[in-house]
Amino acid sequence: MEMGALVVTAGGEAGSPAHLPSLWAPSWPVLGETVLERWIKRVQSLGVGLVSVVNRDSEHANRVRTMVEWAREGVEQILLIVLGSYAEIDLLDLVRFHYEGQNRVTRVFDEEGPLGISLLDRGCVLTNREKADQDQCLPSSRYDFLGYVFRLSSTVSYRRLVEDALQGRCEIQPAGVQRRANVWVDETARVHPSAQIEAPCYIGAGVEIGAGVVIRRSSSVERNCRIDLGTTLDRASILPNTYVAPGLHVRESVIDESRLEDLARGVAVDLGAAGLSTRVGTRPRRPFRQRSSSPAPASLFGG
Amino acid sequence: MRVPMVTVKRMPEPGDRRSQRSFLREIREFVKGSHRPRLIIDLSRVEQLSPESIDLLLECVDHAERGDCAVSVAGASDQAAVILELTQMTSVLDMFPSVAEATQGCQVHDFESTTPLHAA
Repeated sequence: MEMGALVVTAGGEAGSPAHLPSLWAPSWPVLGETVLERWIKRVQSLGVGLVSVVNRDSEHANRVRTMVEWAREGVEQILLIVLGSYAEIDLLDLVRFHYEGQNRVTRVFDEEGPLGISLLDRGCVLTNREKADQDQCLPSSRYDFLGYVFRLSSTVSYRRLVEDALQGRCEIQPAGVQRRANVWVDETARVHPSAQIEAPCYIGAGVEIGAGVVIRRSSSVERNCRIDLGTTLDRASILPNTYVAPGLHVRESVIDESRLEDLARGVAVDLGAAGLSTRVGTRPRRPFRQRSSSPAPASLFGG
Repeated sequence: MRVPMVTVKRMPEPGDRRSQRSFLREIREFVKGSHRPRLIIDLSRVEQLSPESIDLLLECVDHAERGDCAVSVAGASDQAAVILELTQMTSVLDMFPSVAEATQGCQVHDFESTTPLHAA
């Protein structure tokens, strides 16, 4: 029995005004892989080979057409995932529930409500073509999920998921190699010997950690970041391709290139203007003067 | 009982080099002419701290330390407070939410009006 999976992503990048907290962007990796990538792996582990990812903003008709075409080609069941959560659902159990109940549509719920995950039968898709991707419009059975669920809403929830993963409260496995207990470092990352790396933490692919850097309390540094001399990351996440200037103390924050969001204060700050962080590869504006003289960063990342 | 005295000085606008130079000169003179003064830098008109503003505060702290002067900042916006913490300025400066809170229980002098006294 063939199954197809259609994953509808939440749309574009996080786009809030510069000073306001942002929404979770689907492109943000959680310890090396985005939630979308983790969903796809979960679906593929079920043996589903037919997986399509579409943007929520794209034409409604295109999504429906994909589902109807699959149904016409003989795909018996379509798993529709509207990406709004990370949920550790046993998809095999969901399929079994759907099959045993002879349901036409099964929708997944947790204590807070629907999770945007549905399993639809071929016949249902073919007879309800206009509403095929709007499962809430169709009569359905309810599958209650009591396991680990995390709704992808804000930067705060992003940090919580990172912490949960690093502290082993969910099934997310960091993408790197576990160098010691609860410290994951990708093989391609370069960490200066004087850097202090305290568990749990994650350092992603292509990352450069400078001399005297301190990384602690469930901090994560995603791929291709560069953390300059003596900076401390404390319960912080640095999103891909971000350069962080020397001598900073980044606490309870998420930095995405030049944008820092302070989670304790609930404000966002443009660090590019102050020369404190930027996109890797772009020349930072003049950083603020250091209180002590430091060796040139370039020499420390030489190899 | 003697009421402690504090002096409040407003931070110049970012980008105004002339005001920044005169700010530093005034601070230097103020510290020189006072005995263990307490200075509060009012940041309430500064929306976000530029690298120049951070440098200026650092130089201010540097002069103050030489004259055994205690420097605090007050009235920083949320964004400015984030930059102060991020750059670890809060390890050398006390931070108050407002000038009123920073000067509570103290005799307050406006910086400009006290300068001639100390300069005399």
